[in-house]
Amino acid sequence: MQATSDTPIVEYQGISRYFAGIRALEGVHFACRPGSIHGILGENGAGKSTLIKIMSGVLQPDAGTMRLAGRTVNFATPKAANAAGIVCMFQELSLVPDLSVADNISISDPPRRFGLIDRRAQVRRAEELLAAVRCEEIDPRALVRELSLSRRQMVEIAKALGRKPKVLILDEATSALTSRDVETVYGLLKDLKAKGVASLFISHRMHEVDALCDTLSVFRNGRHIETFAKGDKSEREIVRLMIGRDVEAQFPPKPSRKPDAKTAEPLLGVRSLSWGKRLNGVDLDVGRGEIVGLGGLDGQGQKELLLALFGVLRDVDGDVTVGGRSGIPSSPAAASSAATRMALVPEDRKTEGLMLGMSIADNLLAASYGRISKGPFLDMAAARREISDGLAKLQIKIGDAADPVMTLSGGNQQKVVIAKWLMIDPDIILLNDPTRGIDVGTKQEIYRLMRDLANEGKAILFYSSDYAELIGCCDRVSVLYGGRVVSEQEGSEITEESLVAASLNIGTEAA
Amino acid sequence: MQLSLSAENKPIVISSLFVVAILIAGTAYTLWTAGTAPLLSVGYLLQQLQTGSFLGICAAGMMMVILLGHIDLSIPWTLTAAAMTATAVGGDMALPTALAVGLAVGLVNGIGVAYLRIPSMIFTLGVDTVLRGLMVAQTGGFAPQDTATPLMLFLAKDRILGIPVAILVWAAVSLVIVTILTRTGFGRSIYATGSREGAAYLSGIRTRRVIVGAFVISSLCASIAGVLLTGYSAKAYQGMGNAFLLPAIAAVVLGGTHILGGKGRYVGTLIGVILIVLLNSVLSIMQMPEAGRQIIYGTVIVSMLLVYGRNQRVTS
Repeated sequence: MQATSDTPIVEYQGISRYFAGIRALEGVHFACRPGSIHGILGENGAGKSTLIKIMSGVLQPDAGTMRLAGRTVNFATPKAANAAGIVCMFQELSLVPDLSVADNISISDPPRRFGLIDRRAQVRRAEELLAAVRCEEIDPRALVRELSLSRRQMVEIAKALGRKPKVLILDEATSALTSRDVETVYGLLKDLKAKGVASLFISHRMHEVDALCDTLSVFRNGRHIETFAKGDKSEREIVRLMIGRDVEAQFPPKPSRKPDAKTAEPLLGVRSLSWGKRLNGVDLDVGRGEIVGLGGLDGQGQKELLLALFGVLRDVDGDVTVGGRSGIPSSPAAASSAATRMALVPEDRKTEGLMLGMSIADNLLAASYGRISKGPFLDMAAARREISDGLAKLQIKIGDAADPVMTLSGGNQQKVVIAKWLMIDPDIILLNDPTRGIDVGTKQEIYRLMRDLANEGKAILFYSSDYAELIGCCDRVSVLYGGRVVSEQEGSEITEESLVAASLNIGTEAA
Repeated sequence: MQLSLSAENKPIVISSLFVVAILIAGTAYTLWTAGTAPLLSVGYLLQQLQTGSFLGICAAGMMMVILLGHIDLSIPWTLTAAAMTATAVGGDMALPTALAVGLAVGLVNGIGVAYLRIPSMIFTLGVDTVLRGLMVAQTGGFAPQDTATPLMLFLAKDRILGIPVAILVWAAVSLVIVTILTRTGFGRSIYATGSREGAAYLSGIRTRRVIVGAFVISSLCASIAGVLLTGYSAKAYQGMGNAFLLPAIAAVVLGGTHILGGKGRYVGTLIGVILIVLLNSVLSIMQMPEAGRQIIYGTVIVSMLLVYGRNQRVTS
């Protein structure tokens, strides 16, 4: 649009950044043009987050220069970067849960009247921005804590738009969104592109990057590997650039034989399970050796279903049969120590899956204290053995098991959560979006692990917000809508179209 | 920094160095004024540890609760109530009575915090006040027996092979606490729960029982300290526990236990207690007026915590 469209809006020369002597970025040359949607690809730990934190003023580079529209700049604070038109949406949501949506959207620069915050103007502004992201149903006066993860993410996007970005950075911004919201965000990014805004888009979902971006840059181990226009390389080549080696098929093959789910008693049977307004009579069976997917739009009760089965929720109605015994577990402790043991990999690994401040070893053992104790005392030899087994089984790359778990990359953290549960040798494994925000390589390892576990005779119930995963991994998929199962699909019936149709509750029997 | 210390050990090293610094400064003072070095005599140090054992045992229990991210403000009157009830019962049943009072108060605290979900700062403060009321009521109409039993006198004042028994009791309590914290599932669950309760719960840890257990240990420690203190002063009296609450919290925090829970080593708490006891003693040897002692004492605690915070930021 502008005459300057040839000069990069952002240009890096030889940017390096180290943490305690460990390279996070080294000698990175990188440029991004106005009016483009620039995809940044790389595994976790490739340096993408560091790149963005430097761009948005959260971190300062140890070496190198950064130019903004030709001028050398050095942002000391995020505020300075903001003022220069660089707006970033971080992977970790940056909303304050106890403030209202409107407060959050205008948090850094609220409209004022006589020096005091003008609430009415603030609400009006929030309404406009929410309308721009097609989320009119969100009440600007509602508290952020009352919103689901996907709504929060849309509020985050509205907040970013309100800052009138010249460069908009989206770090895993779509990882928690529903497919309808993803479409909205695509539309917005294309509008912004037409206005000459440069967007940097970071996502682990290849098809999103493919659908949206015009330029792609691949990072690996803190280095910029290559930048190219979309379409210049096949998906396979891109993945190879990212992980530096060839990859086999993305999903492990499903067993051709049907598990004898019909003859055998299902390991987990759920009948008319209800909880408040969120679950309205869910029916579901999971047999040994089966991976059953939970599909549907975000917030249709999938997460509540998993939590109810694990004994987290109170006042759940309905019949649940676990390994032939009926009754809903009374607590996670009861669920994981019953005759038929259950495990849950929760939604948010940072707050629910891990004790981030504790060591890798302590996190791995957290579910197994009962199993490795002799009388009241821990059997230290058994503990060490279990830890090294767990690390080996999941190929978790660490320096020392005594290191804090927060020093690991996201993918390795999730592996620690899974390894923790595999130590109790669970019969039923509940997975709540286990691959969210995880790099491609680790995702594939998790898919393979799920299939291996199923082949060992475990029953797996798997919620994912990514349709490709449901199609690629599951033997059966139950699609939830409004807190009940509206469609059950099996084998080759599971396609993107059928899942989307069922998610919107169209083309199936009336609810 | 090749020899960089872990964030957990740094406060322990710093407070150890400070203990040494106090001893050197105190000795320099006495050498200059009187030409002697009583601070370095075994007799003096044992005596300090003996008087420090009451605080040490309170701090040991307090640490369990602080590791959970909670606090137990009922220690002063738990200590007093245990001591006064024990002497009122007297005889052989005195010691079991004190422990029973501790157990009961701990259960009430734990259930209030873990099951009724009342913030520990409020709930234990309420329990402290109720206990005070009960003790006032008990002594209101008549004068119950308040003299220490022979067993209490033995525990607080006697010596075995020249070592005060009180120090041995403190050592035994410490051994039990260290074993719990490092060698039992319950102890590791305390760290996990204090680090992030939600994740611990979802890992199948029975977090509410862990919380109750920690509060019970805290109250039991307070009641043991009450028994010793009764023996030391030959009788139980109202307000005998008042001087222990803040120093106990200070000792735990100076020893590097995170006030929000999840992190800390018991050896740090031990050193924190020794630091506080020696600091008080050296200041009184220097004949510092009470006002000056309070100012220095408070300043030391705040500035040590500043040093910890700053170091952690640099290393992270």
